[in-house]
Amino acid sequence: MRSSVVVAILLWSAAAAFGARAQPAPAFSWTLPARFPTPRVPPNNPMSDAKVTLGRFLFYDTRLSGNGTQACATCHEQARAFTDGRAQAVGSTGEVHPRGSMSLVNVAYAATLTWGDPTVTRLEDQALVPMFGTHPVELGLTKDDPTLMARLRLEPRYRTLFAQAFTTDTDPFSLEHVTQALAAFERTVISARSPYDRYHTDRDDTAISASARRGETLFFSQPLSCFRCHGGFTFSGAVDFEGRRQGGEGGVEFHNTGLYNIAGLLSYPPPNTGAYEATHKPEDIGKFKAPTLRNIAVTAPYMHDGSAATLEDVVAHYAAGGRTIASGPYQGVGHDNPNKSPTIRGFVLTPDQRDDLIAFLRALTDEPLLRDPRFGNPWKESQ
Amino acid sequence: MLLVVLASIVAVLGQAPAITSDTTPVVGGDVTTPLTLTPADLKALPRTTVTVAEEGREVRYEGVLVGELLKRAGAPVGRDLSGKAVATYVRASAKDGYQVVFSLAELDPAFTANDIIVADAIDGKPLFDYQGPLRIVAPHDKRGARSIRMLQRIEVVRLVK
Repeated sequence: MRSSVVVAILLWSAAAAFGARAQPAPAFSWTLPARFPTPRVPPNNPMSDAKVTLGRFLFYDTRLSGNGTQACATCHEQARAFTDGRAQAVGSTGEVHPRGSMSLVNVAYAATLTWGDPTVTRLEDQALVPMFGTHPVELGLTKDDPTLMARLRLEPRYRTLFAQAFTTDTDPFSLEHVTQALAAFERTVISARSPYDRYHTDRDDTAISASARRGETLFFSQPLSCFRCHGGFTFSGAVDFEGRRQGGEGGVEFHNTGLYNIAGLLSYPPPNTGAYEATHKPEDIGKFKAPTLRNIAVTAPYMHDGSAATLEDVVAHYAAGGRTIASGPYQGVGHDNPNKSPTIRGFVLTPDQRDDLIAFLRALTDEPLLRDPRFGNPWKESQ
Repeated sequence: MLLVVLASIVAVLGQAPAITSDTTPVVGGDVTTPLTLTPADLKALPRTTVTVAEEGREVRYEGVLVGELLKRAGAPVGRDLSGKAVATYVRASAKDGYQVVFSLAELDPAFTANDIIVADAIDGKPLFDYQGPLRIVAPHDKRGARSIRMLQRIEVVRLVK
């Protein structure tokens, strides 16, 4: 009996101590599309309108780069479905990133967040990479340098926004709160208003063309098997959401699609060797995340390094079961890459079928999202 | 150039079959009365509705039990599903070449409590082009791989006669 009381007191004390630090969880309305489940959010960063608003201001704020020239939005432009149109991103100091900017649409559901690192699974953690990363330099901030917080404190608007977003903190200005607010905003960027969605969710048969419908059938067919990697409502790799059984079917996967097969131990040109960079397992060489295909028509160029200029190039790559580069430093037959996914077998399409497939991919463009003021630059609005 | 030619040859050798044109799905193989599965045929048979979870939401499929179709085609189900007949399987094929297999017993309502159907409707509407016009839905499978889309043929195969 006495031990039960002691345990109860200890539990109460622990709960009280935890509660003193935890933020309250104000009601938040996702207003999700019909086919979309509720995103899973870290317990210590519940969604709130105030946090989303703050995150949006931060997302578009060049004070988040060391030299004040770039914001998150520099490489994640709304009009390009939060990509930048470049083959490889360019950081605030001019350093060229080995990989291209990934789209942020529906990132709330992404089980992993980067092209090749399976360990980055929370947006709050991922934000630190562009902010403070040095290989390459992106936003070019320096860890433990008080400059960022000093800059933010000087902005009168932030005094209100931080206080509204983090109500229980005496001093709400902190790096943790910056990343939490950025993550909260990013989680609201949900794309589900494409013609494809009107066709599927609203059952509007006129929303997409007959060609796109034929393309959808090809996309989901056994010979092409596009859907095996770009699957589900996000047309991407593994997703997570409330109620999803974790560790079960549909786990995280990275794929070697035979894009390269250069001579030597690393069949992909360094430093872009895929998940191998994080795991150091030889079998992970050349394995990258399958990005979302939603809005793919506005996110050219394609692949992790932007080495495919058009959707036609991408389809040709997969039809050949891997890309052949005839000469130059990357010469090689990607089809024969020893790590290539067995799904990448190659297929034959007539020119009409290729056009159908691409018409389907174009039907995934969510035009309203590209102009939605909720995701636009708030500093322009408030000027 | 040689590499390009070699890659092309490899690609062609490894090519997958094209999607076949639409033909009326059939139930055939080792049965006494092969059936064609027109939409009207299915609508006239006893209907079954199953609910499956797809990405966090419930989806309702409607159609006819595969076991019902097999019974009408004269496959050995019910009392006839005993002895050597138990070693019978059913191969379902799609027009894109995909194939899956069930044992006859798991499709027979007299044998197992399983509601595997040939579906022609989703949430009260016809299936989408990429799914239909008919598909199998195996609602109790933990994975969706046997819920074959674009169903073209159901074939009964007796392993022991």
